[in-house]
Amino acid sequence: MRVILLTGKGGVGKTTHALATAFGAAAHGHRVTLLSTDPAHSLGDALGERVGGRNIEIAPRVLAREVNAQEELHHSWGEIQRWLRELLRDDVDEVVAEELLVFPGLEELMALRAVREVEALGESDVCVVDCAPTGSTLRMLRFPDALRIFMENLFDLERRGARLLRPLIERTHAGRLLPSEAFFDSFEKLYEEVEDVRQILLDDTRTSARLVVNPARVVVEEGRRSFAYLSLYGVATDAVIVNRVLPPEAAHGWFARWAEKESAELSEIEASFPVPRFLAPLRPFEVRGREALEAMAAELYGGRDPAERMTEGRPIRLGQHAGRTVLYIALPGASKEELEVTARGTDLLVRVRDAYRLVALPDSVAGRRVRSAQFVDGTLEVQFEK
Amino acid sequence: MRDTLRGVTAARIVLYTGKGGVGKTTTAASHAAYAASASASAAGGPLRTLVASADAAHSLGDVLGQRLGGETLLVGENLSALEVDARAEMESHWGSIRDYLVAIFRYQGIDATVAEELALLPGAEELTTLLAVDALARSGDYDLVIVDCAPTGSALRLLTLPEVARSAIRVLLRVQQAITGLVTPLARNVLSVPLPESSVFGDAERLLYRKLRGLRRRLTAETTSVRLVVTPERMVIDEAVRAHTDLALFELRPDAVVMNRLLPDAALAEPFFHSWGELQEERLREVRERFDPLPVLEATLAEDELLGIEALADHGASWLGVEPADAVLCRTAGVRIRAEEAFWRVEIPLPHASPDSLDVAKLDEDLWITTGTRRRAVRLPRPLARADLTRARLEAGVLTVRLSRPSAN
Repeated sequence: MRVILLTGKGGVGKTTHALATAFGAAAHGHRVTLLSTDPAHSLGDALGERVGGRNIEIAPRVLAREVNAQEELHHSWGEIQRWLRELLRDDVDEVVAEELLVFPGLEELMALRAVREVEALGESDVCVVDCAPTGSTLRMLRFPDALRIFMENLFDLERRGARLLRPLIERTHAGRLLPSEAFFDSFEKLYEEVEDVRQILLDDTRTSARLVVNPARVVVEEGRRSFAYLSLYGVATDAVIVNRVLPPEAAHGWFARWAEKESAELSEIEASFPVPRFLAPLRPFEVRGREALEAMAAELYGGRDPAERMTEGRPIRLGQHAGRTVLYIALPGASKEELEVTARGTDLLVRVRDAYRLVALPDSVAGRRVRSAQFVDGTLEVQFEK
Repeated sequence: MRDTLRGVTAARIVLYTGKGGVGKTTTAASHAAYAASASASAAGGPLRTLVASADAAHSLGDVLGQRLGGETLLVGENLSALEVDARAEMESHWGSIRDYLVAIFRYQGIDATVAEELALLPGAEELTTLLAVDALARSGDYDLVIVDCAPTGSALRLLTLPEVARSAIRVLLRVQQAITGLVTPLARNVLSVPLPESSVFGDAERLLYRKLRGLRRRLTAETTSVRLVVTPERMVIDEAVRAHTDLALFELRPDAVVMNRLLPDAALAEPFFHSWGELQEERLREVRERFDPLPVLEATLAEDELLGIEALADHGASWLGVEPADAVLCRTAGVRIRAEEAFWRVEIPLPHASPDSLDVAKLDEDLWITTGTRRRAVRLPRPLARADLTRARLEAGVLTVRLSRPSAN
């Protein structure tokens, strides 16, 4: 199954293009599932019909659903939820508790889980994800890492601790705060599920991110940062979609100055993103509803199958240089000054500005000392000792 | 107009929010520039104005053409600006609590960077930003404080509920104690690293709670208004409609809607945009109807990018109209939502309705209210979407609707 993540700054047209991509893929014969993981769902708004938490068929071969963290929590992991409710019982009333159960990260977690569910069902060839604005999406991609660290460092310890302590405090007031065995089981299951998704997301033959931008300064700036971050998390970006470009017939008269600014931004986009670009012109009407979106997809992808990989390239790969193992991490848009690399046991800690990632090192180099790290043409090259 | 707390005149606060990309920053900056300019004198005199960006993806500096930072900077006569540095603010407000969590994690053998990450408190960034703004509003240095908020959604919710924030901290601590703390009593003897006592942050937590209470009072005061910025696009309007009732749930007071990026006649005269004019009119009508009784302020797209204070002030004057720049534009109470023991009470002002022609129905997340020939939908916040309509009553111009709360299962 192919996974295509549509991401970008708020308001650039992610939802519109997620729908267009889904319809376009279906037109090429694929069975498609479209997921919206933005808590401010607007799939229904863009489609002009209601989409909810259950799959509905919005076109032949296209299923769609909005992932609602609260609802999902209701249906899965009763154990985890019960425990959280217990914890909250004394402090807050029920409405607030409901809200609180949607803790930061949960939305992202549910999104990851939904992707896995689509894969597990085996009924779709393509899964298109309308992501939350960039910040949350990056958090989503970082989630498996955080969870892995948690599991490796703490989980067993706690489970043992809980087993040890349970007989002692079961009857006391604190007893209910002690997570049950079943809780640990659901947690473990959750971890396995997230690990599965991680495998999917980091596989560039299966997963591609598509960055949606507008030809506007602020948007392009953020897009560049996202591009670097996506690579840092190991997700391959295979195309940039430039949305709302003034068409030539509109780029004069009253709009002449806006058109000028835009063309400068378009050159900036070309220089910043070394992947194919697809341009969607601004329309004198709203692109809304299935027909308009299908037409948009046909024009945007120009007969190409939206499900295919638009460019090959792997953000993170291993190579050899002079007999030494080298880890290459593509970080387009990053600059040398804002990069920091440190080896930490079996992980490599890479920082780009305020984002960082612990890259799990392959066994062949894990534990070896970093010999050198350099940044060449947008790629970080980390050489390990023999 | 301005309320007084402990002898200091607190500033009027106007928060701008809306879907991403609608032009919140430019709108907020143009309001501020206009309020501070001499041209505002006819309508009450120039005001000492502060414009603050609370959106982590700051773009206020770009709009004002100045490099801004975490300290207020005088960017023009009577006009100061800042981009709140949430990270630095967080140090001062949450420092001790965070340190405690980091210590726990580190003690468990987790790498420092990772520990810091795990200890990030939910909503802390948004909250600290508003705490900083609140402090400035109380400083007495400003008449008007304008805030460019992060996009609608989760941010505003957390901000308005100090209790939630406080519980969130406690819950987090408990979760972490229950999970990680379990091993502590056993391990303490073994390891020489001193673990902080949980009482260490008790004081900090209480102090924080007081600050949050103060913040909530300020945000729900009559002198604080929220303005929703929209553009003539379907998806943008739909999201604002949802945000509108979310504000009610948390007792914030919306006082106007700004319809941004309307194309002026000169632009609509371009053949390519002919059909846009009609669409725009239709959307304007719709926005007026759906947000009634809030006034809808119309801001047209400028022919060129608005850069510099003067251009911004002129733009502000064009959409703010004749009212003083610090006026509360609508005082009519909006929809109110309260959680009672077993149900939610939703109060909707319907000043002219008669009980004979009134019909109320709930369809999924909408409450449909028909009065005579008029029909309107009130979008319910998410926690209420699963509830059942059990009672509706019209009394003294206010429709009170009860929704039963789904039982916990």
